[in-house]
Amino acid sequence: MPPPADLLQGTLDMLVLKAVALEPQHGWAIAQRIQQTSENVLQIGQGSLYPALHRLEYKGWIRAQWGASENNRRARFYSLTAAGRKQLEAELANWDRLAGAINLVLARI
Amino acid sequence: MLREFFTRLRFFFTGKSRAAVDEELQFHIDREVEANLAAGLSPAEARRRALLAFGGRERAREQCREQRPAWSLEMFLRDLRYGFRGLLRNPGFTTVAVLTLALAIGANTTIFSLIDQALLRTLPVQDPGRLVVLSFSGDQAGHVHSDGGDSPGHEHEFSYPMIRDLESKNEVFSGVIASASHDVGVTWNNRAESVAAEMVTGNYFQTLGVRPAVGRVFVSSDETAPGANPVAVLNFDYWRSHLAEAPVVGKTLLVNGTPFTIVGVAAPGFHSMVWGRLPDIYVPITEQSVVQPDWSLLSNHQAYWLNAAARLRAGVTPAQAAAGLNPLFYSLRAAEFTSLRDQSAHERKAYLTDSHINLESGAQGFSPTRQDLRTPLTIIMAMVLLVIGMAVVNVASLLLVRAATRAREFSVRYALGATGAQVVRQLLAEGLILGLAGAVIGLAFAPEALRLLIHWTAAGSGDTPPFTPTLNGQVLVFSLGITLLASLLFSLAPATQFWNPHLVEALKQQSNTGLGSSLKFRRTCVALQIGFSLLLIVAAGAFVRTIQNLRHVNVGFATDHLLAFDLAPELAGYPAADVAPVEQRVLDAVAALPGVRSVGATNDPDLQDDGTGGSVVVSGYTPPPNEDFDVELPAVSTGYLQDLGIPLLAGRYFNAGDTATSQKVAVVNQLFAQHYFGSVTAALGHHVSRPSLPDTDAVIVGVVANAKHNSVRDPAKVTSYIPFAQSVRHSGLTYYVRTWQPPDTAANSIRAAVANIDAKLIVSNVSTLTAQIDDDLLNERIVALLAANFGGLAAVLAGIGLYGILAYSTAQRTREIGIRMALGARRGTVVGLIVREVLLLAGGAILATLPLAVLFTRAVRSQLFGVSVIDPRVYGAAILLLVAVAALAAMVPARRAATIDPSRALRTD
Repeated sequence: MPPPADLLQGTLDMLVLKAVALEPQHGWAIAQRIQQTSENVLQIGQGSLYPALHRLEYKGWIRAQWGASENNRRARFYSLTAAGRKQLEAELANWDRLAGAINLVLARI
Repeated sequence: MLREFFTRLRFFFTGKSRAAVDEELQFHIDREVEANLAAGLSPAEARRRALLAFGGRERAREQCREQRPAWSLEMFLRDLRYGFRGLLRNPGFTTVAVLTLALAIGANTTIFSLIDQALLRTLPVQDPGRLVVLSFSGDQAGHVHSDGGDSPGHEHEFSYPMIRDLESKNEVFSGVIASASHDVGVTWNNRAESVAAEMVTGNYFQTLGVRPAVGRVFVSSDETAPGANPVAVLNFDYWRSHLAEAPVVGKTLLVNGTPFTIVGVAAPGFHSMVWGRLPDIYVPITEQSVVQPDWSLLSNHQAYWLNAAARLRAGVTPAQAAAGLNPLFYSLRAAEFTSLRDQSAHERKAYLTDSHINLESGAQGFSPTRQDLRTPLTIIMAMVLLVIGMAVVNVASLLLVRAATRAREFSVRYALGATGAQVVRQLLAEGLILGLAGAVIGLAFAPEALRLLIHWTAAGSGDTPPFTPTLNGQVLVFSLGITLLASLLFSLAPATQFWNPHLVEALKQQSNTGLGSSLKFRRTCVALQIGFSLLLIVAAGAFVRTIQNLRHVNVGFATDHLLAFDLAPELAGYPAADVAPVEQRVLDAVAALPGVRSVGATNDPDLQDDGTGGSVVVSGYTPPPNEDFDVELPAVSTGYLQDLGIPLLAGRYFNAGDTATSQKVAVVNQLFAQHYFGSVTAALGHHVSRPSLPDTDAVIVGVVANAKHNSVRDPAKVTSYIPFAQSVRHSGLTYYVRTWQPPDTAANSIRAAVANIDAKLIVSNVSTLTAQIDDDLLNERIVALLAANFGGLAAVLAGIGLYGILAYSTAQRTREIGIRMALGARRGTVVGLIVREVLLLAGGAILATLPLAVLFTRAVRSQLFGVSVIDPRVYGAAILLLVAVAALAAMVPARRAATIDPSRALRTD
């Protein structure tokens, strides 16, 4: 397994926002989801996941609520707020622009 | 955006509980274990992998906490807490540092408050930024009544007709206002007293936007014709302190014996459009001849007596206003010029062509007082800044000494993973605690210090000081800013020492060689302290010498045992013709009092910065062309010159034979005789007269020695005395009573004697001449007192700072000294070694600062008297004092070093 790619600060925020965009998720599930959908390329360590969740919550982009998990334990579920949705859209647009630009450069050289 | 802000704000205060974070993290691990079990691992293995994948739980917890919005503040509070504990462990150091800062910040706050009030604050009127002060350049051909504040090209006195024309014909102002001040006698409830009156134009209050507190203020219809508007507005403070806030509207009071109806009281806090002028009562300008019965100024184009200001019309800039006003001013001056006696081209140029009007910002109001105060206050503020500089260096060196003993503490911190930034933040927090503690104490004492200073400046004179002992927001912000800046500076000193992760190595090397940046820094501290204190002590010496010189200056007569008082019969309603006779009766009555050796009176008080002068025509003297030479022209009682003890050089003094009807006579001083005739005796028998006044031709019957008149600072002037009985104009006199009785006793018997003549006569400003001279020297005295205090403070601070640094550096050299002594050095040699080093450093610092001190003294030489810019006594004393302080500060650690036991010293690490 190749070592997980270093995530740019801000990119992690975008991934987390995207992961909770559909339905409320708890921390472990968010990490699992990112890992699975990236086919194990992106592995989010707890050392960065929970600070990121807290940071986004403090910014008001996601909201946390206690709820019952799939194994019937009390867990904190994170969901996107209106401000968070706007932020996600902005970051996705920005990412598209950036990725497109990088692709252009790489294709020419 | 707003929502985000509120979310952050909420979390700023509440945050998240530690238990909630823990529960969340625990859930994550448990869920991982479960997933591992589901993948078919054994329970032990599932748990091991989950924990391994998770990593350090404490670290995760910490990282979550660091995301909190309030995190940096929490860290800072923690730093403060540590700093606080550390400072409490060192009470001696903390006390010295905090007191040093408190003194510096307290002094800064006190003096800056005075500066703020005198130089920075705007008038308490509506929209002061739209006010302009009017002045003009051009000849003032006639008489000028000035309160001062003029500079070349900026005459601040206008005639009343000029003000009326400017007000009615201009198109740039919404109002032109003018005022003049004079003392009047006010009788209220049958009690007479002398109060300050301001004569103002009818639109004065409305243009300034000052509302009445009670009743109404003046309106334009209160300024109609001379003598037609006997109404008065009271100043709020006067109404409260003298009239006990009695209902006054519609009541009558007497001004110089004439009844005036009180129409209202002006808003509290307002005094005058002239800062520092504190009138008790306002009367319309048209009542001028009631206020000054011996003058009739209202219709005179050549009487310059009114200060003027104006409010700009909306949308008009000062430059536009000046451009619009000058053609009007020129045409008015041109009309005036045609009626002047002197129609020469020279006068035309001086009066008209070179004349123009100036508009200057009037937000703070015109103020002669401010101009007198500006230089002394600036000097004192500069000294305060030097004191602050000293305090910063002082605390920095103390912190440095303290920090050196904390090397181990900081090494441990670095070893535990602290970054350089964290260590610096810790040091800044400690500095901030010291600074704020100093500021709190300093600010707590500042109002009291201010009150004492203001009280002290007003002591002696009956005048109300223009200052209030309260600190406003601006002053507090300034002090806080200075505190923060100072804290930053002195905490950075140790920070530079500890910004180094390889601290232990570095310190070890330093202690072995005795060299390095730390030593350089210590030397800089010592040099700076000596430099700052040299400046302050030289300043103290120069100003103290100045006041001593001024106190002991020979004015030409004996100033001791002279009791002075003012008495103006016109304030009691006497018509001009009756003034001189009643004044003679007062002189006779006072002369007859027991214990009074002699009495004299003059219309031109001595050594009060007052002058009454003009040009004269002298027979037998042909003036060079365009000679513009003014002569002092006091009108005195026949016994005045003998009373003061001004020696007679030729001819005779005035005597009882010189009456209103006899041949007019004059006595001139030596300067007069020499200027006009070249010798003392040649003056006798010549005639002196005023060029424009009839009946002033007098024959010179005597010559007296020169005596200083305006002030002890200024040299004697060319003077011609005349007997007041022969004067063309009769007004109030200042009386000088030579008596060996205590001043209070004499004052009481004088008051009784005057009351015996007429109970309405007001005896005012009773004080000894020496007290009056002191009063006149107020600025010099304040500067000298503060300078002496700052100088003393500088010496003490330098002593403390030097001692701290030397004690530390000597302790650091224990090993070196041990070796020297083991090799046979004697105690005296060791002491000499250390003291010599300090004295060399001090000498170097003094030499480097001396040119600065000379520059400083040069900059303030206008404020010095009898002290040269390189006065050897001032510099000698300052250098001696500093060398003594340095030697003393070095002696104690040096002696301690000399008692070192070599065998023990060599074993220290």
